[in-house]
Amino acid sequence: MIRLAWRNLWRNRRRTLITAFSIGFGVLLAVTFTGTGDYAYTNMIDAGASMGYGHVTIEPVGYNRTPTLDKRIGDSAALRADALSQPDVRDAIVRILGQGMFATASNSIGGSFLGVDPASETPAWSLLLRSLVRGNMLRDRDGSGVIIGSKMADHLNLDLGKKLVYTTTDASGEIVSEAARVRGIFHTGINEVDNAFVMLPIDRLRHVLGYRKGEATMVAIMLRDQRRARRVRNALQRRIGNGVAVLDWRQTQPDLAGIINIDRSSNYISQLLIGLLIAAGILNTLLMSVLERTREFGIMMAVGMSPGQLFRLIMTESFWLACIGLLMGTVITAPWYWYLATYGIDFSGSIGHDYSAGGVLIDPVFHIRLFAESIVAILAGLFTLAILAGLYPAWRAGRIPPVESLKAL
Amino acid sequence: MSTTEETPHAHIVRMQAVSKLYMQGKITVTALDRVTLEVDEGDFAALCGPSGSGKSTLLNLVGGLDEPSEGRIWLENRDLAEYSRSQVARVRRDRIGFVFQAYNLVPVMTAYENAEFVLRLQSVPDAERHERVMAVLQEVGLDGLEHRRPDEMSGGQQQRVAIARAIVTRPAIVLADEPTANVDSVTADAILDLMQKLNREEGITFLFSTHDQRLMARTHRLIYMRDGRIERDDIRR
Repeated sequence: MIRLAWRNLWRNRRRTLITAFSIGFGVLLAVTFTGTGDYAYTNMIDAGASMGYGHVTIEPVGYNRTPTLDKRIGDSAALRADALSQPDVRDAIVRILGQGMFATASNSIGGSFLGVDPASETPAWSLLLRSLVRGNMLRDRDGSGVIIGSKMADHLNLDLGKKLVYTTTDASGEIVSEAARVRGIFHTGINEVDNAFVMLPIDRLRHVLGYRKGEATMVAIMLRDQRRARRVRNALQRRIGNGVAVLDWRQTQPDLAGIINIDRSSNYISQLLIGLLIAAGILNTLLMSVLERTREFGIMMAVGMSPGQLFRLIMTESFWLACIGLLMGTVITAPWYWYLATYGIDFSGSIGHDYSAGGVLIDPVFHIRLFAESIVAILAGLFTLAILAGLYPAWRAGRIPPVESLKAL
Repeated sequence: MSTTEETPHAHIVRMQAVSKLYMQGKITVTALDRVTLEVDEGDFAALCGPSGSGKSTLLNLVGGLDEPSEGRIWLENRDLAEYSRSQVARVRRDRIGFVFQAYNLVPVMTAYENAEFVLRLQSVPDAERHERVMAVLQEVGLDGLEHRRPDEMSGGQQQRVAIARAIVTRPAIVLADEPTANVDSVTADAILDLMQKLNREEGITFLFSTHDQRLMARTHRLIYMRDGRIERDDIRR
């Protein structure tokens, strides 16, 4: 039956090839759509993580909802060690995140500060460091330096070496102020960040806020693969207990998660529509092929083939068609994938270099990257569609009474 | 006429008051009209009569390709109405051989594969299948042509493949609808010789529909049909 189905498929070579090509084209479209998503979402999530919170965050219970500086974690070093014990974790960084007012003699602006240990921070885990355009990174944990955004520098008329005063509420709710000198200026391209974000040395900030040694508002955890965030979060929460909260990026950056969800949903809908179009093509091919062979099926049934066996024959043809289509898809998609993965398409001419969504900078070069599970999902999805499209013609072939089939031309 | 319910012969086929009605637009056409017939084991019988007399309809009903509007049909003492569609297919596969006027071979299969097809449906083991197919192709005079496809064979050769396919399972009965209609007289004679030999030597029952006088002359029994009824049933044993 397998051989017969294969031969039947090649009785109308052109039709089979056109249908297989449509499946193959479906593979190309699905790879492009899904690969764009896999690449862009990972980039956005990684970029979001490097803006402060990491892929997973250990923080005081309730801080996510009301981020006030009276909420803090005690032994941040021990929590960092717990995080680093997880195999999926690449690094864990202790930070203090808070809100404050930043002022010079001429102007003031509200924003956020990030207290960091200069020794722990690397450009890989910090968007602000990656985006440093002038000056240098902070020298030590207890220094008086500050790194500010380019827009804030413009707004406050600041430059390297100039003084900035920041005011915030300390751990006990008292208003406190401290002066700092600008050591570096970053430009991320994201207005919200460049206008209202500063980086301060963590021990100096602890002192200002009245925090004890080791106290912080978060341990930002960087993962090898952002897809493991939920798993790591759950594992860490079990390990650490409920005294602190362990959140993944979806919880700390709900805007980004929302944008990705919406985009992913529309992506799925597009792919579903493409899949339905392909399925309609396969259905048409198999139905035509069944109608053309009505008499032949009558002969087969006359000599003893059961409706069930006939059904299996058509389904086997559908199986072969799906295999040929997926093979063709792999062949035509491979160079396309290689080109987009390696070089990409540069859209900076139309969207610029500073396009952001959900507070995260979007790469203007259109790349694709496909996760293994996405490859499996695409192949399995299209294969299933092709098989499903064969169901009706297969069912129909077995329903025609043999005597009617034999009368067909 | 062997139309009684109790006969000393073993009946392969028994039809009792079988009618078949078709709708042709809004008109009801009676293709078979309360036909009662018995076909005995070893019969070499022909249904004859003008076109539209009901010969093919009768063969289709006996072969389970169609269902009667009224009446009952027994094949080897089992009422066909008791079977599901799949069971009827199994009966056709195991107990009935079909030979059609237009050969009706599967075009993508070779002579060997066409003859083998039913044995594959029966899940006969490979070695036995090969042996039986080669034997039957030799029996019908097609040894050496087993790898040819239908479009590479003459009409007579194709009809021999059809006969090989019909008898390879050693069915209880072969139903042949105008088997000599599309072949020349020499080929027709050869085909009839072959069928007669199978009937005589292997006891396979044949029921033909035909207009062919040569075929009629060779049969033991001639069943004349007209307007969906059996007009006369001549037994010449």
